[in-house]
Amino acid sequence: MTTAPHTRSAVPPVAVPAPASRPAAPLLDVRGLTISYGTGRGTLRAVSDVGFSILPGEVMGLVGESGSGKSTVAMAVLDLLGEGGRVESGEILFRGTDLRRLAPAERRALRGDSIAAVFQDPFTSLNPALTVGRQIAEPLIRHKRLTPRQAAVRVEELLGEVGIRDPRRVAAAYPHELSGGMQQRALIATALGCEPGLLILDEPTTALDVTVEARIIDLLAKLCDSHHLSALFVSHNLGIVNRICQSVTVLYGGVVVETGPTGRVLSRPAHPYTKGLIAALPRITAERRARLPSIPGTVAKLSGPPAACVFAPRCPFAEETCRSHPQEMRAEGDGTGVRCWKADALATTSWPDEGGTAPRRGALPARSAPLVEVEHLRKIYGASTSILPWLRRAGTVAVDDVSFTIDRGEVLGVVGESGSGKSTIGRALLALTEPSAGTVLFDGADFPQQVRRGDQTLRRRAQLVFQNSAASLNPRKTVGQAMERPLVLAGRGDAEERRRTVAGLLTRVGLPAAYADRYPHELSGGERQRVNIARALATDPEFVVCDEAVSALDVSVQANILNLLAGLRDEMGLSYLFITHDIAVVAHIADRVLVVYGGTICEEGPVGRVLRPPYHPYTEALLSAVPRLAEDGSEPPRILLEDSALPPGGRGGCAFAGRCPRKLGAVCDEQAPPVRETDQGHRIACHIPLATLAERAPVFPKLAGGDAAAR
Amino acid sequence: MLAYTLTRLLYLALVLVVMSVLIFLVTQAMPGDVASMIAGQFASPEVVQAISVKLGLDQPLIVQYGRWAAGILHGDLGRSLVLEQPIAPILMEALARSLVLAVVALTVVAVAGIGLGVLAAVRRGKLTDQMVSGISYLGIAVPDFFWAIVLVLVFGSYMKLLPTGGYTPVAEGVLPWAAHLVLPVVTLVLMLLARIARLTRSSMIDVLQTNYVKFARAKGMPESVVILRHALKNALLPTITVLAIDFGLILGGVVVIETIFSYPGMGRLLLFAIQRHDLPLIQATILVVSAAYCLANLVADLLYAFVNPKIRHGMRTA
Ligand code: SF4
Ligand code: SF4
Repeated sequence: MTTAPHTRSAVPPVAVPAPASRPAAPLLDVRGLTISYGTGRGTLRAVSDVGFSILPGEVMGLVGESGSGKSTVAMAVLDLLGEGGRVESGEILFRGTDLRRLAPAERRALRGDSIAAVFQDPFTSLNPALTVGRQIAEPLIRHKRLTPRQAAVRVEELLGEVGIRDPRRVAAAYPHELSGGMQQRALIATALGCEPGLLILDEPTTALDVTVEARIIDLLAKLCDSHHLSALFVSHNLGIVNRICQSVTVLYGGVVVETGPTGRVLSRPAHPYTKGLIAALPRITAERRARLPSIPGTVAKLSGPPAACVFAPRCPFAEETCRSHPQEMRAEGDGTGVRCWKADALATTSWPDEGGTAPRRGALPARSAPLVEVEHLRKIYGASTSILPWLRRAGTVAVDDVSFTIDRGEVLGVVGESGSGKSTIGRALLALTEPSAGTVLFDGADFPQQVRRGDQTLRRRAQLVFQNSAASLNPRKTVGQAMERPLVLAGRGDAEERRRTVAGLLTRVGLPAAYADRYPHELSGGERQRVNIARALATDPEFVVCDEAVSALDVSVQANILNLLAGLRDEMGLSYLFITHDIAVVAHIADRVLVVYGGTICEEGPVGRVLRPPYHPYTEALLSAVPRLAEDGSEPPRILLEDSALPPGGRGGCAFAGRCPRKLGAVCDEQAPPVRETDQGHRIACHIPLATLAERAPVFPKLAGGDAAAR
Repeated sequence: MLAYTLTRLLYLALVLVVMSVLIFLVTQAMPGDVASMIAGQFASPEVVQAISVKLGLDQPLIVQYGRWAAGILHGDLGRSLVLEQPIAPILMEALARSLVLAVVALTVVAVAGIGLGVLAAVRRGKLTDQMVSGISYLGIAVPDFFWAIVLVLVFGSYMKLLPTGGYTPVAEGVLPWAAHLVLPVVTLVLMLLARIARLTRSSMIDVLQTNYVKFARAKGMPESVVILRHALKNALLPTITVLAIDFGLILGGVVVIETIFSYPGMGRLLLFAIQRHDLPLIQATILVVSAAYCLANLVADLLYAFVNPKIRHGMRTA
């Protein structure tokens, strides 16, 4: 394509593309953008005086947590703010023209043509009633005036370009017939169709599995490079930003707090908020810390221009000046800017670390009888034995012959992607779903059988905290009422006593006791998740299943909740089954890990062992897909997995065979892989001999090597 | 899709068999027996007995049912006692008239109701929306016969523009035929329009908030394409179902409206049969009405599946 005077190195992206002899004019230049939303309770300031610019061929990350206004900015560029949203002031210059001065029809003509977008959730971004090909063709027909036949040819080219091997079939398919990764590729193909100058990527991989995400990010990086595309990359994920963006703008509370080249911002953050954000990230390479540094408090909502530093209420370095003066953006060299007057003074100060790096406590209690014992667990969904032959179904195997144990006080992590059966395992452990085969023993008693007999005593000793903190609380009940319910069910105490218990539980999870009278919508996401945890603790359980319990939370809040869970474990000796797709979170909190794929256990063992070779091929791919920051060491060669086509499992061979990059051949399809033990309960299920597996280089070479065996 | 259709047809047949048994038993339990009705009020018990034997009414119920059901399967619905004619042609005629009413009324309802619903959704919160909502409430709150009476009074009695009731076959001229249809159709439309408009409005509002609509806009599609191609197709799913069920309802006869306008459709036929205690006619009419209703439901489900590729394809692999 173009021979730009700069080259893009995907790993690690260092600096803004070096300008040619004279500095290139920015492709997108946003100045003083202020956006507010009219709500029932008055107007809320979503974005205040935001400015940044993107050079031709540059990918800029717009980073922030929920409420930072990052998506609002992206939508304002597209003129898709939606109901109530209004740009109050500012300029959005695209190729030198202020988009705000254009008529709506002119802006629409730009959309999908020279400014194209890809949004977060591929599963809902495609129209279920139209074929994929037709949807990709639409902008081509509209903007480029192609005939439907010409467009169809171009659609197949585009699908080929985004790495779809069977473009004709995919073009004719309806969205639900495609996997999430393929759907996102189709959306990217749509965006590329009219050869746009600027891509707006709003969390384009957030809804995808890690291994799929890695491939989509690589694809995007490659496309931006080959097409000389500029992109506004909206994300909450610093690792992803590190992988694809040359520069970063950090938003907090609708205000730009820091901007600069990615490498500098992520390795030497200048603004306290950026420091906190990076420190709070659970990391695989970091020394295992008892607690994560966290950012206390939540984002305040603004109704007018900020009167003080927006971050002051949560900043550990805040002083009186910070609270009385709004902060100006201070420009420094190489495109860097910081909105903090203390930035220089704090240059060498890092975010306060509350937990230290000491191991969390002594060795696990001496191995007595395990608390939970699972043997040959199987769960098949949707099997049906109808009298009508065409209605008979074999069902899908969600969990296939899984056995493991959990000791008292132990945290067992379960890592896997969607469809791995990890949630089903958790539900089976709590007797929330009837196993199709196998046994689940809780403290020696057959849990599902007891529940079948109507005996609920074990239910009190084993509780669940799951992902969607909003959906799991009844909006019409106060926090106190919601928390009392398990106590009432268990017949504990009178009303007065229960109120005291609720207050005690709220204090224990770090909330004021007065929260008992609040309704869920009055709480932030992190607070709601604390309430959920408090409710789970109401019956003094010994065992808690955390099913993606921190996945929906912002990094700073996630660190808070992880610390809370770790604290409760230490104080009360709780055991957890910690289910997540995020291997970094597991590396932080778990003692042992199960890596699951297609309903089977690929690898299990102490965390320190699983993170080091020998790896199961799936674990290795998973680890290599984890986005990382510069200080975690350079990215390893990524192991790219095919987008999964068929639901795995239940066919006799290795569940991973359909996507395995190291597949040996027919033996993998036909014979269940042998389970081989390396040492200390580290087991790998694969046909490849352990010695061969051990030859691979570690994915995280910086992982402290010595204590591996000790854990 | 084929397997799905097959399954549904099988269920339909099953439902109809059960229905026929129920209809048969219920009508048997109705007061008065056929034989004495045929024989007349003053006939001697012997005569009644003779008629009973001749009609097979002295046989066990199961045999009687069997004979009735076998007749139906051969297209023989029996004879009307009061009209003293075979039932099938009478029924078919009434059904055809109800069909005309249903097709005309529902076409109007579909076009106007969906149009208004879309308009209200697109202009949500604005004056147009409030007007549509207001009229909808009126349409739902006011009972259907009220409109019928108002219309008869205004257009028929005062202005004398339209016939207030009755029916003339098409053969006697298209204009008089159409004139007789106007008032019942308008009443039906007023009765059904509000629900369709409101349903379309609410599902349209939901769909307009989906990501794929947002993405269509991000592709630079003009609003007309966004609304018609992207939103409406998905928003219509629930509306289609309700329309099909309404169709079944009208086909089965809307007694109130048919009575007020003396429109000789299924509703009036059933009423006539019940008033005159014409058991075979009652049985046949109810059976046909139920079949029409079930069929309309089936068509609704099939349409739903057909419009929704997720179901269409799911069925293929099932
Ligand atoms: S201005 Fe003050 S409160 Fe704001 S980030 Fe800097 S040090 Fe913290
Ligand atoms: S058994 Fe075969 S397919 Fe499965 S992980 Fe090992 S090499 Fe890959």
